[in-house]
Amino acid sequence: MTETASSTKVPETVLKRKALREKIKAKRLQEAAKLKKQRKERRKEIFKRAEQYVKEYREKERAEIEARRRAKAEKKFYVPAGAKVAFVIRIRGINGVDPRTRKILQLLRLRQIHNGVFVKVNKATMQMLHRVEPYIAYGYPNLKSVRELIYKRGFVKIGKRGAWSRIPITDNRLIEDVLGKYGIICVEDMIHEIYTCGRHFKKVNRFLWPFKLNSPRGGFSRHGKRRHFIEGGEFGNREHLIDRLIKKMI
Amino acid sequence: MVSVAVARPLVSVFSVEGEGTEGEVALPTVFTAPIRSDVVRSVHTRMALNKRQPYAVSSKAGMQSSAESWGTGRAVARIPRVPGGGTHRAGQGAFGNMCRGGRRFAPTKIWRRWHRKITKNEKRYAVASALAASALTSLVLARGHRIERVSEVPLVVGDQAQTLKKTKSAVALLEKIGAYEDVVKVKESKKLRAGKGKLRNRRYTQRRGPLIIYEKDEGIVKAFRNLPGVELCRVDSLNLLQLAPGGHLGRFCIWTKSAFQKLDEIFGTFTQPSQQKKDYTLPKSILTNCDIGRIINSDEVQSVLRPKVVRKRISIRKKNPLKNKNEMFKLNPYSRVLLKEAREATSKPSQKKQKRLMRRKNKEVKKIGREYYKSIVA
Repeated sequence: MTETASSTKVPETVLKRKALREKIKAKRLQEAAKLKKQRKERRKEIFKRAEQYVKEYREKERAEIEARRRAKAEKKFYVPAGAKVAFVIRIRGINGVDPRTRKILQLLRLRQIHNGVFVKVNKATMQMLHRVEPYIAYGYPNLKSVRELIYKRGFVKIGKRGAWSRIPITDNRLIEDVLGKYGIICVEDMIHEIYTCGRHFKKVNRFLWPFKLNSPRGGFSRHGKRRHFIEGGEFGNREHLIDRLIKKMI
Repeated sequence: MVSVAVARPLVSVFSVEGEGTEGEVALPTVFTAPIRSDVVRSVHTRMALNKRQPYAVSSKAGMQSSAESWGTGRAVARIPRVPGGGTHRAGQGAFGNMCRGGRRFAPTKIWRRWHRKITKNEKRYAVASALAASALTSLVLARGHRIERVSEVPLVVGDQAQTLKKTKSAVALLEKIGAYEDVVKVKESKKLRAGKGKLRNRRYTQRRGPLIIYEKDEGIVKAFRNLPGVELCRVDSLNLLQLAPGGHLGRFCIWTKSAFQKLDEIFGTFTQPSQQKKDYTLPKSILTNCDIGRIINSDEVQSVLRPKVVRKRISIRKKNPLKNKNEMFKLNPYSRVLLKEAREATSKPSQKKQKRLMRRKNKEVKKIGREYYKSIVA
């Protein structure tokens, strides 16, 4: 094949192979450089957005507080805006469930005990939640709960029909690939969309796999799942106190 | 397999009288037929069944009595028993396979399917393969023939061989072409058969020698037939059982010139159908180019391949961003700013900074002190 000494003859196939490999490599490096630049720009964009959101949340908080104070000062009443997003946790198991309740829980994607989902608050969904009240604990989460849920327990649904996978959120690219066309490119965007119930709430919510939570640390209350929260139990709407339960279950 | 476009290679014809060769013949196309050992084996096993003679046990054996079961209640087994009295035989069990003198279990029948039908085309395929194999020295050697002295395979001999009358001249011919060693091998291999065959008129076994294929018998059969191991065959009726004994390819064949030349007429070529066999052309192999490696590395194939896809693992181990600062930074680059703010809000300035501030404060205090001192002293 290859002769030693002065004249080294290399077989043609070897040369062809080498040329082909180098071409592929050059292309790959080019693509890599382009991607690197893209990603750098993305990072900058994400930083800006995160900064903007932090400012927005703080402003909102301050605005709330100001409004309350103003109302108090003027001897008027401040009625806070109704919640837009609820977090629903299934607290009962799957045995002995009547068909209607079963179906509604399926529609809410609560197929397992201690599964949690975000739900947009409107007449329709509220009626659904009311129907399955004995099986769920729900309320209106604050920003911290939303963030913690998505960061700690956030998994997304990737794949296509018939081949879905539950993938942990380890990179913003996972989000950008699917939700990029709605302008959502990072975790902070997702959190913002969920918390403020943005235009693409449904898409982001569907992209999130239902949260699989622990059983509550310290257990449920004495009357537990048998009674409504109002009666000292656990099920039903507990509005802003859902944060405490989430904290125990996250 | 040699492609049809290439000119046929030439085979030398060895002269019967005199030295050396007496001309050349083109190799018939049969010898380039695909060598399908699987076809040959399956056809051979079926063909070999066809010479069988039926055997069976007498249909009446064990059933020639009027035995009847005594039924229950007599403290004996319910097997049919021979009636009558006065002999040992009376009351003995009969008919059953377990009984003494009864018929056996599942008596063999003569209507067992002894023979096998083989489709004509399959048979022809097998013969073509066997012939092709006989043209490859490695296969013939592997089959065990002693052809070390034979100068060429396929071995073709002049037509004068067909007129040989004496076995002596037959031996002389074989020695001249180097085929006699194979005959010697046969002679030396004659042994008693192991097993019951020796009591069944198959007393000795020996190897197979060369197969001589001729076109017209003008004495050749009588000349060669007494030589141990040598078999003779007319070219018109080639027998797979002789061409591939035991289903193994590569019988050592010796051809006469006219027999050799007749093969193209009998089998045809890949394009021309056979003249003797109706509607028959030689089988074609599925691959014309068996060098898969070369095909894969050829320009035609390589030029249309896409680059290798490296499948990245889409999900890696999840780390908790709320605890793992690097993970948080990966997902949210603003997090470092927030952390810094948080740290500054809750804690005192770091030791170093404290020291620095202290030092500055001390410097200022000292400055004031010094000036006061100066003012006093002054």
